[in-house]
Amino acid sequence: MHDAAKSTHIGQPVRRKEDQRLVTGKGKYSDDYCVPGQAHAVFLRSPHAHAMIKSIDVKAALEVPGVIMVLTGADRLADGLKPLPHNPMSTHKAETPLENSDGTPPFTAPHYPLAHDRARYVGEAVAIVIAESVAAAKDGADAVEIDYEVLPAVTATLAAAAPDAPKVWDNAKSNVGLDAVVGDRAATDAAFKRAKHVVKFETWAQRVTGVTMEPRAAVGAYDRESGRYTVYAGSGGAVKLKQDIAAVLDVPADKVRVLMDDVGGNFGTRGEVYPEFAVLAWAARRAGRPVKWTSERQESFLSDYQGRDLAVSAELALDADGNFLAMRGSNVSNAGAHTVSYAPLKKGLGIMSSIYRMPAVFFRARVTLSNTMMTRPYRSAGRPEVMYVMERLIDIAAFECGFDRVELRRRNLLTEAELPYTNPFHMTYDNGDYHGAMDAALKLGDWAGFAQRRDEAKKRGRLRGIGLANYVDTSTGAPRERTDITVRADGTVEVVIGIVSQGQGHETAYAQLAGDWLGVPVESVQLITGDTDIVKVGGGAHGGRGMRMASLVIWNATREIIKKGTRIAARMLECDPSMLKFVGGRFEQDGSEKSVGLFEVTKAAQTLADLPEDLRGPLAATCDQVHHEASFPYGTHVCEVEVDPETGSVQIVNYAAVDDVGRAINPLLIHGQVHGGIAQGAGQALYEQCFYDAASGQLLSGSLMDYALPRADTLPFFKTEISEVPSNTHPLGIRPAGESGTTPALGVVINAVVDALSEFGVKHVEMPATPERIWRAIHGMAPPASPNNR
Amino acid sequence: MPVVTMTVNGQRVSAEVEGRTLLVQFLREHLRLTGTHVGCDTSQCGCCTVHVNGQGMKSCTLLALACEGATITTIEGLAVDGKLHPMQEAFHEHHGLQCGYCTPGMIMSALDMVRRKGNDLDESTVREQLSGNLCRCTGYHNIVKAIQAGAAAMKRS
Repeated sequence: MHDAAKSTHIGQPVRRKEDQRLVTGKGKYSDDYCVPGQAHAVFLRSPHAHAMIKSIDVKAALEVPGVIMVLTGADRLADGLKPLPHNPMSTHKAETPLENSDGTPPFTAPHYPLAHDRARYVGEAVAIVIAESVAAAKDGADAVEIDYEVLPAVTATLAAAAPDAPKVWDNAKSNVGLDAVVGDRAATDAAFKRAKHVVKFETWAQRVTGVTMEPRAAVGAYDRESGRYTVYAGSGGAVKLKQDIAAVLDVPADKVRVLMDDVGGNFGTRGEVYPEFAVLAWAARRAGRPVKWTSERQESFLSDYQGRDLAVSAELALDADGNFLAMRGSNVSNAGAHTVSYAPLKKGLGIMSSIYRMPAVFFRARVTLSNTMMTRPYRSAGRPEVMYVMERLIDIAAFECGFDRVELRRRNLLTEAELPYTNPFHMTYDNGDYHGAMDAALKLGDWAGFAQRRDEAKKRGRLRGIGLANYVDTSTGAPRERTDITVRADGTVEVVIGIVSQGQGHETAYAQLAGDWLGVPVESVQLITGDTDIVKVGGGAHGGRGMRMASLVIWNATREIIKKGTRIAARMLECDPSMLKFVGGRFEQDGSEKSVGLFEVTKAAQTLADLPEDLRGPLAATCDQVHHEASFPYGTHVCEVEVDPETGSVQIVNYAAVDDVGRAINPLLIHGQVHGGIAQGAGQALYEQCFYDAASGQLLSGSLMDYALPRADTLPFFKTEISEVPSNTHPLGIRPAGESGTTPALGVVINAVVDALSEFGVKHVEMPATPERIWRAIHGMAPPASPNNR
Repeated sequence: MPVVTMTVNGQRVSAEVEGRTLLVQFLREHLRLTGTHVGCDTSQCGCCTVHVNGQGMKSCTLLALACEGATITTIEGLAVDGKLHPMQEAFHEHHGLQCGYCTPGMIMSALDMVRRKGNDLDESTVREQLSGNLCRCTGYHNIVKAIQAGAAAMKRS
């Protein structure tokens, strides 16, 4: 398949087809939908982290000019809406299984789209106000009287997991929803006993959030005659959103249509159904007209799914030569108020030992609920956290035990001969050249020349540090995907697929695949993804599945089209099908000048009278496939920072990345993915945090003035290099590229910061490594008084 | 309700607006020019950047009535007869956009940067001048390259 799939567009930095509309302001994002007769809505949200809703009085609100209707949780209850159909436990076959140690099922609780009895986090929606304009809806919301009885709340991860913490759910034994162990305790303890060195690391990979530049927005509509709902809502995928909204409305899935065009970013934030989307559909039925809502940024900070939030305590055992013997510890993931996703804990834990030889492990893994917005996978579910922990452990071991950082990694890094390798968490890596990637990154980042740059910086009064981090990522997203490809007589090829783009450039990359394999120009391939009346099956964009799954189904469907086309062409050319070969979009007859083109064949398929049933109609094929095997992206990043010792401020001055994608379809897009991924990882390392005040449960980082994002002047140009060692678990050799930038970035940036501070004996700086934290570390002071966020 | 009149992308437009209407609401909702985006409530993200009387401004913090008589250019006003402006072309050529949501504001800010700083823009100037525009997809790498290339191309064209 590798050779057969060689071609002219694949591997080329084809400029994006989608750009023409996006650079001219003609993109169509969710707030750009304007449905005739639409009313406008605002959501009323709980101002308390935990409170009983004793009563809601809407009378005054209904008297506000322009207000049409107010719907509350009690109305939702009376109308029989169902909970959001979350499935917190990821069930992918390639993953580490996690079960409660006491044999009970993981705790789950119904997540209703408007709270009726109790609000469990600041920002939980409790009512919707529908009005003629957003301004009128806001005025109406101000007039709604809600009587809350405030209850004790807990937001911090370890505090929430404590047995005496205020309970988020009364019917649960505690806030701990899942308490599992993985590994071999006896073998691990024995290894620690005979170890020459043991290093310990306690940390908190803090809560961050996606901050998609396009805030969420949606329009719900309802057609009384057909009983069908239409929801215009940018999301991670259309098909699952349709099914989930239908489940909440308690109607068959075909009674809901979901539509989306351009979507302004995802990163995992848009990967799960939201309460607001279902409420808008229901509100449209109740109001008798379409209802539109657009989130404001402060609302996004409160109500978009958040990410990370993992408290880790880990130990690494080494022998005298630096060989890793074992690893043990505890991971606690903060899932927030509702049981939406336990996947970050699970998907991270499975690769905790990264791509190093690790004979034994034993870990306790817990999920705790808390009075915060819910978390779910965010640009590499759970993986950046654990890569950060592993790479910090190695640097701490080097620092405390006198090993060279590079040699310590090289000694323990798996070799090609050891692959495939089943790690002690039971995940099996495919092939790869881990040493090659590390050597290439060290070269690209000029590791050898660092001492000179450090000395030069010293003269300018700057502390310069360098770090490296290896990583592995996983790709265990939804394993089923489908495409329907039709060759049209007008010279276009239509590709229907269930993977919506939120900026990844699928219109171009998938067109490269279909274009190459059908021998047609990229421009003539049209992608359809965001209309569930057309797209019936598909898993959306997440878990490194976009190119991995799309390439498989597009490959198989195009092979089928060529197979069918060959039979039709044979009739047209009056020869045996075996005499035809398909070259550059034409069916050519061996040993003659005769040939017919793909588009002529599709015309014939629609007009010839004597075709068998299966060849009639336009030339088309469907591939609906399940692919359970994961391929594992890997690579190495090298980062250099400069610290101003006077202020503790830090600047990334050099960043080199080598990332293996197995096979690059469009290097332009891959480099772009890596750049953006690095920025998100560096953002977490240095700037970002969803800051819940432990005393009040309030989110203090509720705007872009409080939540620090990387800006153009806080990042350098990145040096990125693509490695291509085809994966042997994917028929086309592909490994995902979308998460590679972020996964090692947390660890590599902190490793560089700590290295810059090495002369002060600093062992670690927590994320985000703010000037205050760095300045205190330089001066040997305790970290800032913690509001117990961890 | 008061009436506001302005020239938007070369066309004179006039409409009744509530006093609290922001320029960006006027553009998006009254004129249906939806290329200008809203990404925040606090003038941080720059998605809503347009040109008011030739100067780059964040249209989410201007009242429509304050623009009485003004000349406004939005992202929709840059391409002439379907031919991309050199700055738009540079964003395409250098892959300076992914989801595209920040892009109109980035391009309008880039043009304002050229107006103020000239066509020969070094990396640190672009980065510093761009601190009022946020992007979550690109890590700014290709945006900076695109602006440098676009500014240079404007000089040639």
